[in-house]
Amino acid sequence: MTLTRMVAEDRLDPPVVASPPEAPATASRWPGVACAASLVVTGAAGAALLVAANRAAERDSGDQFGFFWLGLLVFTLPAVFWLVRPRTGARLRVAVLTAYAGFTYLPKLLRTPDGPLYHDEFAHWRQAHEILIQGRLFEQNPIVKVVGDFPGLHATVASISALTGVSIWHGALIVLIAAHLLVVLGVFVLAAEIWPDARVAAVAAILYSLNSSFLFFDTQFGYESLAIPLLVWTLVALHRAMRGPAGHARYGWSAVTLMLSAATIATHHLTALGLLGVMLILCAVATARALRRSHPRAVTWTAWALTVAAAVLVVTYLVVVAPRTVGYLDPYLAKALDQVAGMAGSSGSGKRTLFRESIAPWWERYAAFGAQGLAGLAMAAAAWRLRYRRQGDAVSRTGALTMFVLGSLYFPAALLILTPSGAEGARRSWAFSYLGLAVVVAPVVVALLDHAARRATRIAVAGTLLGLCAVALVGNTAAGMNPSYRFPGPPVFGSDTRSSIPEVSAASEWLRTTQGRDLRIVADRYSGLIFGSFGEQQPVTGSQSFRTYDLYLAQPDRRIDPHLIGQLSSWRFGYLIVDRRMAREVPEIQIYFETNEPVPHDGKPAFSLGQLTKFDHTPWTIKVYDSGNIAIYRFDFASLGQRVSGR
Amino acid sequence: MTTVRLLAATYAALGLLAAGTHLPWLLAVVCLAALVAIGELWLRALTGEAMPPVARIGLAIASGLVSLPFVAITLHAAGVTIGTLSIAIGLAVLVTLLGGAVLVRERSGAAPADPRLPRMILAVGIPALLTLVAGFGSLQLYDRLPHPPPPGYTSLALNGWAAGIDRPVAIPARGVKVPVRISSAGLPAATEPLRVRMGARLVSGRTLAVAADATSSVDVFVPAPPDACLHRIEISLGASSTIFYGRGPATRGAATC
Repeated sequence: MTLTRMVAEDRLDPPVVASPPEAPATASRWPGVACAASLVVTGAAGAALLVAANRAAERDSGDQFGFFWLGLLVFTLPAVFWLVRPRTGARLRVAVLTAYAGFTYLPKLLRTPDGPLYHDEFAHWRQAHEILIQGRLFEQNPIVKVVGDFPGLHATVASISALTGVSIWHGALIVLIAAHLLVVLGVFVLAAEIWPDARVAAVAAILYSLNSSFLFFDTQFGYESLAIPLLVWTLVALHRAMRGPAGHARYGWSAVTLMLSAATIATHHLTALGLLGVMLILCAVATARALRRSHPRAVTWTAWALTVAAAVLVVTYLVVVAPRTVGYLDPYLAKALDQVAGMAGSSGSGKRTLFRESIAPWWERYAAFGAQGLAGLAMAAAAWRLRYRRQGDAVSRTGALTMFVLGSLYFPAALLILTPSGAEGARRSWAFSYLGLAVVVAPVVVALLDHAARRATRIAVAGTLLGLCAVALVGNTAAGMNPSYRFPGPPVFGSDTRSSIPEVSAASEWLRTTQGRDLRIVADRYSGLIFGSFGEQQPVTGSQSFRTYDLYLAQPDRRIDPHLIGQLSSWRFGYLIVDRRMAREVPEIQIYFETNEPVPHDGKPAFSLGQLTKFDHTPWTIKVYDSGNIAIYRFDFASLGQRVSGR
Repeated sequence: MTTVRLLAATYAALGLLAAGTHLPWLLAVVCLAALVAIGELWLRALTGEAMPPVARIGLAIASGLVSLPFVAITLHAAGVTIGTLSIAIGLAVLVTLLGGAVLVRERSGAAPADPRLPRMILAVGIPALLTLVAGFGSLQLYDRLPHPPPPGYTSLALNGWAAGIDRPVAIPARGVKVPVRISSAGLPAATEPLRVRMGARLVSGRTLAVAADATSSVDVFVPAPPDACLHRIEISLGASSTIFYGRGPATRGAATC
């Protein structure tokens, strides 16, 4: 029995309601040739401009922002033209989308061509390295505590590296480029499941690519970069399962949904929870519509059955395999909520100032605020259209309403971005909520394009829409990533990406070659990244229960807390890393050790040189290495409290 | 492609990957093709129905990629060390299971081959290849352009037996030679003062030529401390220093420490 209307074999090809019909595949070849020629030329020009942007950034000339956006837009604007053009054929559209996905990976490729650079990349690199050395999964990671519990990405990368002989980084690039392509094609296919119009689907893919994480964050060697495409394809399979005729086909698609859900769960905790959230929204919408008899009940049952199964998988995984995850995520959420409450109070405490001390140009900052307004207007228009222009079958309608609810969650997250603890979570959530926003706003964009009858008006509308998309892309990217993540440049202390000067790498190399690997060391955040990855050590950068930062904070004439010394001694910590730049410079991202550190951030360095060089005068710290900025001390707790002769 | 041919091609690719060659990038292409083939087997085994070509391509890539962590987790759960051979064998077992399921399913009729699929594969493959070429071309260009030199440094470290100092050193009356390692990178050759201090007292000093971009080892003589009390011993080269603690030979009056 077929529960909903049978769908055409290929939902992308049939004529559509809102747009002119697709061009047949056998139509003239000139559009393909013209499209290829234009995209090859603009792609080459765009790539050259992106290289120029990196060169300008290395010289710190300030021109990098202009070159970068010019380079990106010089390719993406013609690509969007070919995608949205009514007479573009199905294959050409997919080809342009593929090229779009490839080109939009280029900024990240140019930023980190040789190895890990972003914070989480060091953690995943180490994890993949451990798999290749030890041959085991689920090893604890010293940089990101729970990374080891979610082996999806680094197991994939390590396997490719082992099977082919390419380096870990090249293996990662292979997986990440494939994942980037998958997310673009996935949004296209998901939107086509909801709106049976390839133009709308293409616009949805483009709109999704405007989100703040698309160019840099979700292209990094980090678990979400693989998990988000898996989430999108899980939703594709879920829609197919809901729509498919009863029997083997529905069971088959249900199995695909569960298989991809399981892979998502084994890859990233937040994306797994995000997937569960989207599935629950879908179930709620389907149930409400089933109660109003506008939805076949079997479709609702399918949605619920798969959601419950996915929930069982998520809960089982979090309880059995990754029990530390809740403890890892909980402080961020609790502190963020406290900070929201603090902002609402009269004190205004807990507030975070956007773009504080950022070198981003004024137009990027304005675009960042403008992008929020544009998103609000677009969602309002989408709401109006959803209310008054109903189209598609029951599953499509349910999918569209689900995406609308998901897209609406974009706005509460904007509140969290104003809190230090919530900002990271808010940024991550936008990769999910923008999916909903993109899918429901896409038909509005196509309707606006089709509404204009005269050629001149159409050109004006298209130009305006392209301009707005450019503003959203620039603004969202500026809001999502600070310039030191986006561009190379002179070393900057307190930047995950630019603190890693050769001096730090040399110190970690010395420690590994002379003292061995897997040593327990105390470090700041930035040294910890290098010592914990390439250095193969086990750094700790401090936490509320293990306040290693108190070692650095103690005044030279004060005794170190005996409880802390006891912890260090009993847990056999062997080495202390001191980066003296902490006494001279303010960290760019306002963190010395960890997000919730009890260290003042008032625009001045939080440490005096005396606090950092006091270890030169304590007999329980033997200075074994010094290179000016970086010093390595070996702990000798047996000498604690011994008196040193002044003679 | 028929399932039997697909299985044969996948086994051949896995055999090549297990054997390994000195051409990692060629194997990377083979590996990707094998993964897409495994993804296609997942789809044939689970859904067994026609779908839009672009959906098929995307789902095949996704299913193929996730086969790797599934195999790795299974190997881990079975207590098998994850390595080239074990992954290849694990994938071969997965291919066999999926292939068996597909062949059983196809006994009751296979889904008709989609004539649009080959061209759609080209529509994805050609631009993907072109953008890869453009991307790596840009990287080459970027690499070949001159870049600002990274900041240089000179490091001083305890070396040899001294690198293992983990408690106060008992220094005999004749003194001791402490090996230190001097390394310089990104700085021009220079002459730096090499000094030994015991407590606040300078006990020796000389200049040392530090070569550019080189690492060397130097023995530094440290005389015995005057008594068996704990003394701070600092060896410095310019602004960098190493510090350890030592005691001299026991003498009368040592109890006054």
